[in-house]
Amino acid sequence: MMLERGDIGGYIPAPDDDLLVCRCEEISQGEIRRAIHDGLFTLTELRRFLRTGMGLCQGQTCGRLVKAIVAKELGVSPAELEPITARSPVRPVEMRVLARNQEQKNG
Amino acid sequence: MKRYDVLVVGAGPAGLSAAVEAARLGLRVAVYDENARPGGQLFKQIHKFFGSREHKAKIRGNKIGEELLQEAAAAGVEVMLNAAVIGVFAEKEVAVRVNEQILCRQADALIIATGASENMVNFPGWTLPGVLGAGAAQTMMNLHGVKPGERILLLGSGNVGLVVSYQLLQAGCAVVAVVDALPRIGGYGVHAAKIARCGVPFYTSHTIVRAEGVNQVTGAVIGELDKDRKIIPGSEKHLAVDTICLAVGLSPLSLLCALAGCAMEDNPAKSGYVPLVNRYGETSVAGIFAAGDVSGIEEASAAMIEGRIAGLAAAQRLGFLTQEDLDARVAVQERALASLRQGMFAPGSRGQTFTATTEGCPLSQNLLRQGYLTDTELSAYPGVVWAEGLHPIIECTQNIPCNPCRDACPKQCITVGATAGQITALPIFDAQKGCTGCGLCVAACSGQAIFLVDEEAGEITLPYEFLPLPQKGEQGLALGRSGQEICAAEVVDVKTAKVFDQTNLLTIRVPVQYARQARFFRRAP
Repeated sequence: MMLERGDIGGYIPAPDDDLLVCRCEEISQGEIRRAIHDGLFTLTELRRFLRTGMGLCQGQTCGRLVKAIVAKELGVSPAELEPITARSPVRPVEMRVLARNQEQKNG
Repeated sequence: MKRYDVLVVGAGPAGLSAAVEAARLGLRVAVYDENARPGGQLFKQIHKFFGSREHKAKIRGNKIGEELLQEAAAAGVEVMLNAAVIGVFAEKEVAVRVNEQILCRQADALIIATGASENMVNFPGWTLPGVLGAGAAQTMMNLHGVKPGERILLLGSGNVGLVVSYQLLQAGCAVVAVVDALPRIGGYGVHAAKIARCGVPFYTSHTIVRAEGVNQVTGAVIGELDKDRKIIPGSEKHLAVDTICLAVGLSPLSLLCALAGCAMEDNPAKSGYVPLVNRYGETSVAGIFAAGDVSGIEEASAAMIEGRIAGLAAAQRLGFLTQEDLDARVAVQERALASLRQGMFAPGSRGQTFTATTEGCPLSQNLLRQGYLTDTELSAYPGVVWAEGLHPIIECTQNIPCNPCRDACPKQCITVGATAGQITALPIFDAQKGCTGCGLCVAACSGQAIFLVDEEAGEITLPYEFLPLPQKGEQGLALGRSGQEICAAEVVDVKTAKVFDQTNLLTIRVPVQYARQARFFRRAP
């Protein structure tokens, strides 16, 4: 996608902008829309900037919703958007478990 | 590092089927599942499955789950529970989180059968306690014996929404409304009819405006949608509910495939982001297979067949089966899959609008909008033959892949399709074959669409799956297909048999003029 910041116009508040989208990280539709108009056009950028889909459910609840918002703001179909990066661990793992695992490997 | 011939991720219908096929050919197979119980969604599918005998039709999902687990144990499959696969790396190395440990495992073939997750929609109040996925409600009821609520609004009229609505009724909840944004009911007409005759109203072309409540759901407002999917002002309606169940589709849980480097596509026809697979379910990474919902949302019956194909193909890849053997076995499975993927609800029929069945019978528009057939529409179908004496009335009016009624009849009174593979044809009843009124077809019909009717006596035998069972001699009310009370009714017989598999046959007597209308029995309060 060759869109650049400003191409889709500025952020205009919508009446349902206070609607929560990502429950785990408590991010609203307005925050996501504003970020898109600030130039964050990919799901990965939004994840880094707002933490949408980075909570306990790992985007299983809001993934589609965020995608739909981005697609709508950019005027494309959701299927055209670049998918999120798949990275291990794909399931939430406590730091404690990872650290202990490293100890075992080293020890 | 511990090694296996085949490592399967996910112990649902696809994963277990894959494991069984591979293990039966002598491969060393392990299945890892993050849940505490195996079977994926099968154990909460307490309804009878559709399809043909080869697809385990008329068997309840939980029973199919038990059978698969027994087959897996007998074949020597190692099933590891509470084991979440958190990563897939080069050379098919897999990291599994088990309790406080992360274990590394390696396999020559990897079968990813991670299934799907429920989609959500957001509306004001959607984060209140009391809003939950329909699948979650099903888990609460059918696995844990907990009622999700008392008064339910169900959003989504696909098969999941319809089946869960029925199970909520079985659990003793009131289903106040089934709401769908589309102008027609998405799931099978027979599933809709099953709940409509219990009095559940459908609101097609409607959506949720908001959930009400402070600490939990105390109500909901729905509104009617116009052609542009905007709420028509003034159409809002308040419903007193304490629970809102969302059945708005599933998304493939395919992140592991992407992580493994499989070529992926975002394909709306498959309900989301899925790996590209060949006829064996093999992804672009040699030796990594995907089966079941992870490669495209379908029914569990299809997932089991895809699993079997992937299991066989993995065995061939490892030299346990020749290419010739594989192709012969896969051809059998493909035929079974093709017969399931027929009809007006098949994956290939999505987006099409049908106005008539393949036989040329007009489709009931009322069934599509309100969930029930009207008396005048009914006679257009080949299963509805008003004969003298006791005989079945088969209210099956859409081309869906299902034929247990044919196999159930000891007198061969019922035919479904001209050939064995044609299972989406409407059932035809032949009064000349000598129906004995045994009721086996009534209990066998997964859609509960068959009734035995004796018009002269005013007696109707209907499938009944609610507890406590009414007693012989009990007085109550007969409800019509729409769920409206039509007349007084007396229970004249209650039949329960092992072969009916918990579908009881309730015979009620009504004034003769109501014999064509009475389709459900409501107990006196």
